[in-house]
Amino acid sequence: MSDIIKIKKGLDIPLPGAAVDELVDVRDVQCCAVCPTDYVGFTPRLLVQEGDSVKAGDPLLCDKKDERQRLLSPVSGTVKAIVRGERRQILAVVVERGLKGSLRLKVEGFASLEGSNPQTHKPTNPQTLKFSILNSQFPILPFILQRPFGTMASPDVKPKALFVSCCDSAPLAARCDITLRGREEEFCRGLEALGELVAPAPVHVSYNEQSIIGRLLADFENRGLVKLHVVRGPHPSGNVGTQIAAIDPINKGEVVWTVDPQDVANIGRLALTGCYAPERVVAVCGPAAQHPRYYRTVAGTCVAPLLEGQIDAAEPQPRVIAGNVLTGVQVAADGFLHAHTNELTLLPEGDYYDFLGWLLLGLHKYSFSRTFLSGFGSKRKSKQKPALAPEFDTQRHGDVRPLVFGEVFDRVFPFDIYPMELIKAAVIGDIERLEQLGIYEIEPEDMALCEFVDPSKTEIQTLIRTALELCRKEGM
Amino acid sequence: MRGRKWDQRLADWFEKHEPQGKWAWLGSTYEAFHTFTFVRKTVTRSGAHVRDAVDMKRSMFTVVLALLPALLFGMWNIGYQHFAANSQLSTLNSQLFDCWWFGFLRMLPMIVVSYVVGLAIEFAFAQVRHHEVNEGYLVTGLLIPMIVPVTTPLWQLALAVAFAVIIAKEAFGGTGMNFLNPALVARAFLFFAYPTNMSGDTVWIAHDLWGSDAITGATPLAALSAGADFSVFNSQYSVLDLLVGTIPGSTCETSFIAIAFGAMLLLFTGIASWRIMLGVFLGGGLMGLFFNLLPSLDAQLSTHIYLQLPFYYHWLLGGFAFGAVFMATDPVTAAQTRTGRWIYGLLVGAFAVLLRVCNPAYPEGMMLSILFMNCMAPLIDHCVIARNIKSRQSRLSRQSRTTRKEAHNG
Repeated sequence: MSDIIKIKKGLDIPLPGAAVDELVDVRDVQCCAVCPTDYVGFTPRLLVQEGDSVKAGDPLLCDKKDERQRLLSPVSGTVKAIVRGERRQILAVVVERGLKGSLRLKVEGFASLEGSNPQTHKPTNPQTLKFSILNSQFPILPFILQRPFGTMASPDVKPKALFVSCCDSAPLAARCDITLRGREEEFCRGLEALGELVAPAPVHVSYNEQSIIGRLLADFENRGLVKLHVVRGPHPSGNVGTQIAAIDPINKGEVVWTVDPQDVANIGRLALTGCYAPERVVAVCGPAAQHPRYYRTVAGTCVAPLLEGQIDAAEPQPRVIAGNVLTGVQVAADGFLHAHTNELTLLPEGDYYDFLGWLLLGLHKYSFSRTFLSGFGSKRKSKQKPALAPEFDTQRHGDVRPLVFGEVFDRVFPFDIYPMELIKAAVIGDIERLEQLGIYEIEPEDMALCEFVDPSKTEIQTLIRTALELCRKEGM
Repeated sequence: MRGRKWDQRLADWFEKHEPQGKWAWLGSTYEAFHTFTFVRKTVTRSGAHVRDAVDMKRSMFTVVLALLPALLFGMWNIGYQHFAANSQLSTLNSQLFDCWWFGFLRMLPMIVVSYVVGLAIEFAFAQVRHHEVNEGYLVTGLLIPMIVPVTTPLWQLALAVAFAVIIAKEAFGGTGMNFLNPALVARAFLFFAYPTNMSGDTVWIAHDLWGSDAITGATPLAALSAGADFSVFNSQYSVLDLLVGTIPGSTCETSFIAIAFGAMLLLFTGIASWRIMLGVFLGGGLMGLFFNLLPSLDAQLSTHIYLQLPFYYHWLLGGFAFGAVFMATDPVTAAQTRTGRWIYGLLVGAFAVLLRVCNPAYPEGMMLSILFMNCMAPLIDHCVIARNIKSRQSRLSRQSRTTRKEAHNG
C-alpha cells in the first residue's frame, strides 16, 4: 500500500504548448556531446583527443579528484571537437557518430548482471554487484545524482536512501508514462539493480495516481524492493527534493541518491544487455513549438533534428531551453541535450520595451499575485477565457530590487524551511547559518518557484547554488 | 504592445540619452525615469527563464490603488467636517462635490510636499550611493499625508517627511532594510515634536482653505480619553457614523468601509498578509473584550467609560483599521515568518487597545503599538526560526542515535 504525499503550497504555471501523446523516433543522429558542466563540482580531465575514435561507453572525461567518476561516450564514432569556454574550461566533448557505428556494442565488465532477466533473476550479492559496477569500464555513476550539493554520485559514500520521482510536475514536464513506454522491463530491472546497489538503504519511488507506475511496481512493493508514494498537489510536488523532505529529510552528514526514471531504464538496459546505449525520450514543447510532441533519441544528441519543423521561421528566433522553463539551460539551436534533460522548451524571447507595462491593466500578463487584470480570470487552465489567456516569454518584467515581499515565497515553497532567511544567509554566505536553516535539504531547483514569483527579481537559484558550493568546498 | 511607432521613438530616445562619460553619475536618476516609462527589455539570463509579471512597481502601485478609496473619502470628510463645524452644510449646492473639492484642495499641497521632499531625498541618496531609486516611497509618500491631521502646517510635514526618510529608512540602507515603518515614524515625529498640535483634543478640522487655524472640536478618541460619558458619546457618534467615517480624525483614517475596500484589494492580490490583518483585529477585539469583562469583577470600575465601550468600537475608532490594513502589514517591518506574523498581528492589536484604555496621555495607541511591534518583530522571528533550527538539530541527533544503535546491533 503506497502512502500519499499531499503538497499544498506551490504553483502550476499555465504555460501553453504541452507535448501531445505522440512519440517520434529520431534515429539519424549525427553528433552527440557530453557536457561536464552538467555535473556540479566535476573537474574534467580529458581522456581523448580530437580525432580519436571511440566506442559507445568509452570514457571521454574523468574527474580529476576521482578517476572512477567518468563521463562516457553515448555513441560510437570519432571525437569531432572539444568545445572550450572562458579560461579554457571544457564545455563539451562532441562525438560525431560513425556511419556504421553500432549503438549496441557488446561489452565486458557487467558479467554478473549479464543474461539475467526479471523472471529468473536472483538477487546478486551486493558486494559483487557494487564491485562490478564501480570497476567496470562502464560505470553508472553519471546517471545518479547525490544530495546534498547535487553532484555526481561518489562511489565511496553509503546513501541513506535512493529516490526516483516518476511524476515531474514542472511546467510542460514530460510524462513518465510516455518517456518509459516500451521500456517498462528495463525500468523495473534498473530499479532492482539500484536497490541491490544501495541495499540495505530503501528505494523510494513516487508517482501520481493516473500513472501506470503504481501498477507496474505493485509486485516490487509487495516483495519489499521499493517503497511507493503517491504524490498530489501543484509543482514542486514532483520535485524529488520536495518528496525527500516529506519522506525522509536529509540531515547534516547524510547523503541520498536520486535518479531520473529514464536513467533508471538506462541502467536497466545496461543490467539486462550489458551494453551502454543511453536513450532519452524528450518532449519538445513550449509556447513557440509548432508541433509539441515526444521524440525518442540518444542521450546528449544534437538538438537540431528535434527542432526540425518546430520553429516558425516568420517569428523571431525563440529561446531553446534544455529542460523546463524554471530550471533549464539555454542551448543554441545547434547545441546539445544536457544530461538528465526530459524536455526541450521553446520560449519566445521577450526583448521588447513595454511602455508603462507596470501600470497598465495587463490583460495577458501572468502573475501569481493577481495584481494584473489577468488575475481575475480562472486559475484553472480549462476555464480560462481566451481573452485573458496569459502570454509567456523571457522578459524579466522589471528590474532588480532589494527583497521586500517575502510572504509570497511561503506560498510556493513546501519545505519546513524559512525561504527568506535562507536567501539572506545565502547572500552573506554564512555557512553555519545556512546549515542551521536547512540548506542541505534543497537544491536550486526547489527554489525555482520562489525565483519565479519574486517581485524583486533576485537570482535566487544562482544564490543557492553559490551557497551550496561554498558549503561543499568548506566541507572538503 | 510591440511595434507602436511613438513608443518605439520614445524607447530609442531613452537609449540614445543614456548617461555616459562625465554624466555617468546620473545613472540612478536615468534608471528611475527609464523604468518608470518602460518595463525595460531585459531578458532572463540565469535561473528561471520565465518570470512573474509582477515587479516592485506593480506591487507598490497596487497598494496605492488600495489607498484610493480611503483617500477619496478622506478628502470628502475634510470638507464635510469643515462645513459642518461652520454650520454651512445647508448653504452648499452639492454636498458631495463641494465637500470633496474643499478636502481635495486641502490635501493636494500636503501630498505634493510629501512627494517632493521625500522623492528629492530618495533621489539624492540613490545618486550618492549608486543604487536604484526605490519604489517604496510611492506608498510612503501617500501614506504620510493620509495619517496626519489636516491642520498640520506644511513645514512641519516637510520636516517629518525628511526625518522619516533619512533617519528611519536611508540610514539603514533604504527600502527593504528599514526596521521601522517610515510613514509612522513621520507621524511619531510630529506627535512628539509638536504635541500640542497632535493630541487630538482641539484640532483636526480645517478652519479655512489655506490656513492652519483649526476649529475646536475633539476627535472621538480624545473625547473618550477625556472621560466623556458613554451615553453622551454614543449619541454623538453612532456605529454607523464610525463605519462610514463622518467623524473628525486624521485625514484619511476615519472610514472603516473605505479602508475595507482597500483591504479587499490587498488581500485579493496577495500583496498584504491576511494573517497580520486578521491578527490585529483579533488582538484588538480580545483586548477590548477583556476590558469589557473587568467591571463584572470589580463594580468600582464600571464608571470608566472605556470599560463600557463595546469591544468592536475599538476597530472603528481612530486609526485602528487603517493601521491594521496599511501599516501593520508593511512587508519589510512586519514579522517575516508565518507564525511570527500571527504573533505580531495579535500583539499589535492588543497593545493598541491597551494603550488607548490605560494611557489617557496618548489617545491613539495604534501608531505607538505598531512602532513598538516593528522593533519586536525581529525578536519574534528569531524565536520562531530558532524553534525551526532546534527541530532540525533534534532530528539529526535522533537519526544519529538510531544509526549508532543499528551499528551496535549489527
